[in-house]
Amino acid sequence: MTEKLTFKVNGVERTVEVEPEMMLIDVIRDVLNLTGTKLGCDNSTCGTCVVVMNGKPIKSCNLPAAKAAGADLVTVEGLAKGMELHPIQTAISESGAVQCGFCTPGIVMELYGLLEANPEASEQEMSNALNKHLCRCTGYEPIRDGALIAQKMVQEQKKIK
Amino acid sequence: MKYKYVGQSYIRPDAISKVTGKAIYLDDIRLPDMLHAAILRPQYAHALILNVDTDEAEKCVGVVKVVTGAGCKFRYGDNIKDLQPMAVTKVRYIGDPVAAVIADTPAHARAALSKIKVDYEPLPVYIDARDAMQPGAALIHEDMSDYWRLPTLKETPGTNIANTYHLHKGRGEEGFDEADVVIEQEFNFPLGSCAAIETHGSIIWFKEDRTIEAWSTSICPFIIREDLAHSYGMPIADVRVHIPDLGGCFGYKSDITTEQTIAWVASFVPGRPVKWVATREEDFTSTLLAHGIRTRMKIGAKKDGTLVALKSTIYHTAGAYADTAVNLTMASTHNSTGPYEFKHCDLTGYTVYTNTPAVGAYRGYGHQESQIATERMMDLLARKLGMDSLELRKKNFLSEGKVNAVGEIMWKHHGNLLECANRVEKMVFSKAKPREDDQYVYGRSLVTVMKSPKGAPFSTKGCYMKMNLDGSVSINMGGAEVGQGMRTVIRQVAAEALKIAPERIRVYTEIDTQYSPYEWQTIGSMFTTQGGRAIVRAADKLIAGLKKTAAQVLKTDEDYLEYEGDYIVLRNDPSIRVATKDLARGYITEDGITIGDLAQSVSDARLPRYSNPDKNGQGSIGVSYTMGAQAVELRIEKKTGKILVDHFYSVFDVGQVINPLQIRGSVLGGVTMAIGAALYEEVVFDKDGKITNPQLFKYHIPTYKEAVEQTIEFVETPDPIGPFGARGIGEHSVIGAAPAILNAVYDAIGADFYEIPLTPEKVKKALEARKESK
Repeated sequence: MTEKLTFKVNGVERTVEVEPEMMLIDVIRDVLNLTGTKLGCDNSTCGTCVVVMNGKPIKSCNLPAAKAAGADLVTVEGLAKGMELHPIQTAISESGAVQCGFCTPGIVMELYGLLEANPEASEQEMSNALNKHLCRCTGYEPIRDGALIAQKMVQEQKKIK
Repeated sequence: MKYKYVGQSYIRPDAISKVTGKAIYLDDIRLPDMLHAAILRPQYAHALILNVDTDEAEKCVGVVKVVTGAGCKFRYGDNIKDLQPMAVTKVRYIGDPVAAVIADTPAHARAALSKIKVDYEPLPVYIDARDAMQPGAALIHEDMSDYWRLPTLKETPGTNIANTYHLHKGRGEEGFDEADVVIEQEFNFPLGSCAAIETHGSIIWFKEDRTIEAWSTSICPFIIREDLAHSYGMPIADVRVHIPDLGGCFGYKSDITTEQTIAWVASFVPGRPVKWVATREEDFTSTLLAHGIRTRMKIGAKKDGTLVALKSTIYHTAGAYADTAVNLTMASTHNSTGPYEFKHCDLTGYTVYTNTPAVGAYRGYGHQESQIATERMMDLLARKLGMDSLELRKKNFLSEGKVNAVGEIMWKHHGNLLECANRVEKMVFSKAKPREDDQYVYGRSLVTVMKSPKGAPFSTKGCYMKMNLDGSVSINMGGAEVGQGMRTVIRQVAAEALKIAPERIRVYTEIDTQYSPYEWQTIGSMFTTQGGRAIVRAADKLIAGLKKTAAQVLKTDEDYLEYEGDYIVLRNDPSIRVATKDLARGYITEDGITIGDLAQSVSDARLPRYSNPDKNGQGSIGVSYTMGAQAVELRIEKKTGKILVDHFYSVFDVGQVINPLQIRGSVLGGVTMAIGAALYEEVVFDKDGKITNPQLFKYHIPTYKEAVEQTIEFVETPDPIGPFGARGIGEHSVIGAAPAILNAVYDAIGADFYEIPLTPEKVKKALEARKESK
């Protein structure tokens, strides 16, 4: 009882066959084989599964796949252009925000969704966004540092454009 | 001492693969023809299995096989062989594997679980060591005495006591007759979870060529290899274990955990790899839990504050299988002295079977569990003596010339705890404490802590080093990168030892027992110390080999040569030299004749003279110590009883900082975890042994908005064992938070608490009592 689903992933239109009970993360990880998006809990608490859909960060673990029909999705694999990292990736990799790295793709995508739409996001907005993500390694301070550097880099980039 | 590469911040080599989503974790591995397993957990925490009916489940969509424990003849375990891969005659805790479904997809495997019918006969359930060790309690392991165990371990037949550890120093309990003041109190550090963001998982593949290939979320591939080989009667060389990137460990991915269960399941479908990844619920119910330690502590002191005698009794709720808890009990027991000298010690640790998940390592390995008692007792004793609690601590520090509980003499190089304490004291107490206001009441406290590793005397860390044709160096070791930043440390230590830039050193990215050098397991905050020593040794050997070839090339003696990184030069005339890279595969002379060996080396490093304890618990069983001071400033919201940590301070003597960015990150994270344990975290059981909060939205771990401002500094008294004077720091930062917070709450509202988590409800009650007494 599979059904066809068409959406855009990282700029490429894809049509895939999905089982009705599949969540979006199952399609991303198991059908499209994009394993950068992680699953860390059973009920959308940890934030590791965040991807950007139609410009907004969403939890892919509790969104029925069918609801992504026609959507424009970006996963962590869609950020770097060849060898060139997205500024958010550069900032997060250099601030000490990465230890085990399991929460990292979700945090990178959260910031991508937030800062691409609103490069001038307030510290409160950043904090509200990052509060959706659990990290057991860093004590969060280096994530905050990385997010602030990322914001500056994104702002610079937008100015140049 | 100033080093060129050690002491600088470098970005970790795995940062890029992690921000791009390209790092491969266990669940990201896809193998040809792979099957998926789901495991049935029991409805009872202690029950006999009367019958398992798998017929309906076998018929479900996608199901390949349903497996039970029937016919399993072997037990396993490194300390006590009390584990079985799947329950055979009874279940002993709520996460015990009863049966497994193997199917084409994880969803099909899970869907069929509910079709397995099991008949049970329930037995009494014990969720606390104190209850389980009562005379007449139902036995959780009836045949305990038949199990193989290490010769140093001793069970109490006819009880649930899996081991009793005892340490006797000086005159033991008799020593209390020298005390002017004696205080006694009981403390509790309840069961918790490491709760790494990546859950446990394994892939096991029994191959037709009679080898086993395995992947696991583990930091002990060599133990898995030995255990599987032993259980299935194969040569160790025929089992190959891979460790991919790990999404955090914090302890519970050490020792063998779920691998034997998945191997048992996979053994029924030879030829096909079987993957299992724990749900978050299973990660709580069916892997290792943490802590579960009650400490009853009695301290005797002279009027002037000199500590004379310590009696600690540790009641360890070890869980249904004690193999992973027994060493933890010991570590908690012999380190219950904290960083203080007691002339007389009588320390006992009971490892007790209970109907809860097995307890294993958690960052800090038993130290915070008993030092919550020690550090609270120091404050209680100071109050009784009418003394300043920091003065009391300073008077009794395990400083140079003192003898610790296990009989080791302390030397200057064990660290300058006084300097750590003085620095934190200045940071916190040189300013006035805020006065109570309408909303808040304020408290602060300083504690001092110590940690040694609890490993095995044979535990070593291997290093393979090879120089490539361009002079770059490849390093292969058996240590597991769990996020601690070991790969960066390897690079920096090797760069310093080899006098070449870190960028020219490439560190291995996965462990594969087929290629990796042996390491027992990456535990005890010992990778920098032992692994770093192994790197220095490998570098020395590599350089010696290079010099041997260079001596032939330059027609001189090896001891006239100096290694300078890029060149080997004649000491008395450095213009005579050979480029190091030209020696990498031996040296090719003008006519093509090649001389000398490949530039490669092998080494390993244990802790020096690390031993088992003798019958009195004495021996060289710490060897390496890191000490430090920590303090908290907090406020209590009067309306709710909520504790808000305003600032946390840590100063540790780490010998030598290798990477300032990483070491700060390590302490930041450790303190955050420990504040979580002190304020929020407890795995809660109902009376039937079911866990009521096995999800991250119920088991609250600290969030972004709860992160605490921290001041972190380091004292550097060089260590003679570690590389370039460095010593371990991975776990130490978790020890002080709980006692510091409880002491600061007393400072704020005059209420004594003896257990954690200290929830707002408990504090609110104390606030109300305070109001009444005012």
